[in-house]
Amino acid sequence: MSQTESHDDGHHGLMVKNKKLLMWLFLGSDCMFFGTLISTHLIYRKLHPEEFDPTQLFSLELTSFSTFILLMSSFLMALAVSAMHKGEMKSFRRNVIGVIFFGLIFLGCQVYEFAHFMHEGLNLDTGTFGSTFYLMTGTHGVHVAVGVFWLISMLFYSQSGKMEAHKSAIDVEAAGLYWHFVDIVWIVIFTVVYLIEFIA
Amino acid sequence: MSTTHTTEVINPSVHNDLADLKPEISDLGLRRPDHSKNVIIDWMTTVDHKKIGLMYGAMALFFLLVGGFEALVIRTQLMVPENDLISAQRYNQLFTMHGTTMIFLAIMPLNAAFFNFLVPLQIGARDVAFPRINAFSLWAFVAGALVINFGWLLQALEMFGLFTASGATAGMNDFVPAMGWFGYAPITSTEFTGAGTDFWIMGLQILGVASLSASLNFIVTIINMRAPGMKMMRLPVFTWMTLIVSLLIIFAFPAITVALIQLMFDRVFGTNFFSVGGGGQPILWQHLFWIFGHPEVYILVLPAMGIVSEVLPTFARKPLFGYAIVVFSGAVIGFLGFAVWSHHMFTTGLGKIATAAFSLLTMAIAVPTGVKIFNWVGTLWGGQIRFHAPMIFAIGFVWMFMMGGFSGIMHSSAPADAQQQDSYFVIAHFHYVAIGGILLAIVSGIYYWLPKMIGKMWQGNLNIWVGIFTVVGLNITFFPMHFLGLLGQPRRTHTYLSGFGWESYNMVCTIGSYILAFGVLLLVVDIVRCFRSKQLAGNDPWDARTLEWATSSPPKVYNFAATPIVNARDGFWADKYGPENRKLGEVDESHGIHMPSQSWMPMIASAGFIPLGLGLSLMQAGVPFMGYVAILGLVIIALGISLWALEGPGGYHLHPKKESN
Amino acid sequence: MSDTKHMSELDVLKTENDRYYAFVNLALILAAVTGIELVLVYLPFPSTLIFTVLISLSLFKFIGVIAWFMHLIYDKLILTMAFGTGMVIAFGTYTALLFLLSGEMVAPQEIPGR
Repeated sequence: MSQTESHDDGHHGLMVKNKKLLMWLFLGSDCMFFGTLISTHLIYRKLHPEEFDPTQLFSLELTSFSTFILLMSSFLMALAVSAMHKGEMKSFRRNVIGVIFFGLIFLGCQVYEFAHFMHEGLNLDTGTFGSTFYLMTGTHGVHVAVGVFWLISMLFYSQSGKMEAHKSAIDVEAAGLYWHFVDIVWIVIFTVVYLIEFIA
Repeated sequence: MSTTHTTEVINPSVHNDLADLKPEISDLGLRRPDHSKNVIIDWMTTVDHKKIGLMYGAMALFFLLVGGFEALVIRTQLMVPENDLISAQRYNQLFTMHGTTMIFLAIMPLNAAFFNFLVPLQIGARDVAFPRINAFSLWAFVAGALVINFGWLLQALEMFGLFTASGATAGMNDFVPAMGWFGYAPITSTEFTGAGTDFWIMGLQILGVASLSASLNFIVTIINMRAPGMKMMRLPVFTWMTLIVSLLIIFAFPAITVALIQLMFDRVFGTNFFSVGGGGQPILWQHLFWIFGHPEVYILVLPAMGIVSEVLPTFARKPLFGYAIVVFSGAVIGFLGFAVWSHHMFTTGLGKIATAAFSLLTMAIAVPTGVKIFNWVGTLWGGQIRFHAPMIFAIGFVWMFMMGGFSGIMHSSAPADAQQQDSYFVIAHFHYVAIGGILLAIVSGIYYWLPKMIGKMWQGNLNIWVGIFTVVGLNITFFPMHFLGLLGQPRRTHTYLSGFGWESYNMVCTIGSYILAFGVLLLVVDIVRCFRSKQLAGNDPWDARTLEWATSSPPKVYNFAATPIVNARDGFWADKYGPENRKLGEVDESHGIHMPSQSWMPMIASAGFIPLGLGLSLMQAGVPFMGYVAILGLVIIALGISLWALEGPGGYHLHPKKESN
Repeated sequence: MSDTKHMSELDVLKTENDRYYAFVNLALILAAVTGIELVLVYLPFPSTLIFTVLISLSLFKFIGVIAWFMHLIYDKLILTMAFGTGMVIAFGTYTALLFLLSGEMVAPQEIPGR
């Protein structure tokens, strides 16, 4: 009869941490969520291609720039998580500030883009294109904003002195997973919503 | 470790495990509500899966009666042709709310009650992976139930001339949802329905959040928190079904979440997702709804199958026949359930290829279902059958669910379905699987597990009468509906003209519904009698097979004094009757058991859903300042979640005395 | 990060430092691929070819971020299965839906005034 210690250290059985498994499951669910939004957009683009010509309105340069920014923020996030695992709080904080900064730039680009589009007459209720485009990219933007808010809270918490690297590493990793997911959703959106429209 | 079967008197000295503990201070500097002497505070801040399960169950049973009452009014209206008991609008509201209530407020939380109570016990754990999220799911469910039923209050005010709609839905005074539980576009646009639709949208979204968070919790719990030796293929089938259902929920709900958001945007911001004038396609709603809706019906039925898979082996004193194939079939049903959604849409002009594909896939789903039925029969074959209450209802499930399955397979043929769609035939089909299947299985589960939950044993033989009245009532109500459907009576019409040959069938159906209602009433009486029973249940009144029966009745707050080490499937049975090497072991817990702390934060966070949901819906009804109320709701949710994160998980240690188990 | 708490401090440092190079490389590749995509849409190649290349590049970026930044390649299979199930169901369902709602099945758009 073997005797094992029973600890509540956040993981058992398969030795995967509870919070990490939770976040991956949530992200799997979020795939369906964004899948619905993106496919609604694509369905309406396929049904009514002549309803709107986004090539006149989209600025691929701006969107490529914001895509690049988000990808780089993902890189910094990976470094932040890595720093946390190594217990290097200063490096962690620097990288998180970088992620927040880049995230805010991305959001700024989105806001600018939306404002520009609305000025040019593309509103939420402009046919199906306006509806699907704004809901899809808007939902993504809200996800980014929630992520930024989460990271800012984490930054403040790390500066309060209460944050211990080995206990909080899992929380930082979860935040990192969320942030990367938001990035890969944008990769999909950039290609199938923006780039595709420009193929001759 | 072996167990004795004496019924225990509750030992007062064992109860004092918790009495000497003082609550601690959280990371926020506030006192945690642990070990409260105040019963109300204790239940409101609980994170104990058993208490949460009981609360889900109590609320669900209440809503089962509400939904049943709504059905009785419907049936009474339909008793004779051209009846004027209720108006057409009221009728629409009743069938909408009956469906919504039964699915989201009765069956799903009844399933949740069983998941909550049983899963940690069955896997040998002390609680779920995230106890506070578990509490959050419960209170979010309460918030959603409130929001979705709030319209009744407004409707009553409207009937007395005290309230009319203005603003976005001016002129439309349907405050209770009236567009069917599936809310097809375009009737759900602001052109055709009033604030009732908004209450429905917001209520369902909140209920969706509750279901999603609970399911994520259960998946992590089942994968990560199993006792040593509890391999996946040693899990009780009920726990397997919980896992599959939870996966279904997290992958199916996003579709309806997005569809509801799109509908809300159409109604509030004038977008064109389903609005034909702007290029929208109402059929998209149907697709998105049923991409959710079909997995949803498997979400409803798989737990029932899990319950039956526990009850039949216990009362046949035989292991489940073909355990692995039963589990695998459940998984296949779940997975295939995502591939058949358009069988609800055969009459919408999908095209030949799509229709054929969905038809074939639907027929395919019958295969694993049939496999399960054969395995259940195989379990009974050659067993020592004991006809206690749980067994009676479980056998009733097998028979009645099969009948529902037969009409289902008839639907899977698209040409046949072209006549049956939107007729009473469909109503017959799903009520056979829902009442004959799901409800009977749930009643079986109640008879089986209530003694474990409350420590008291059932009294007398009322269960036989419950069974007779419900099964007879069910059949008298819904069997004639097959004929009504084939004779062409359409669904969702508040009355019908005489001369179609429908009159006598409808009268019979209505009489049957009252018989069924009486059966449910007897169940309520029996449950009350059990609560007042003086006879203690003891640990293992049924001589059962799975780990939950190794605990006291009701189980201690910490479930197991020492976490068991499992060496076989049906570990408790093996411990009682098996060879030495298959008995249960024990983990060394001498350093104490870690228990999660209680908390106010889940309730605070989910309380914010009420102003959010009501605010948005009332705003649509034209009530001023409601937009601010909605924003306030968001703020409360955000605040609750922030405080939740900041207070830290806490936790305390217990050193339970060794019980003579 | 693999989840055993039995790794020593030195092991943790070594693993993380090794991964640093993977992260940098991936970040550079991602930036380059984004640039390529931007240029690609303006090039005079057949649209089917550009479409295929774009999708492939996106898929590469997608998998790159998941595998390396999100550590899936370093982690237990169960996590890949958890996420993968969602992806497969989403991809399958919505591909089917796109085919179901293609042009001929749906009545033409009626825009008042046009």
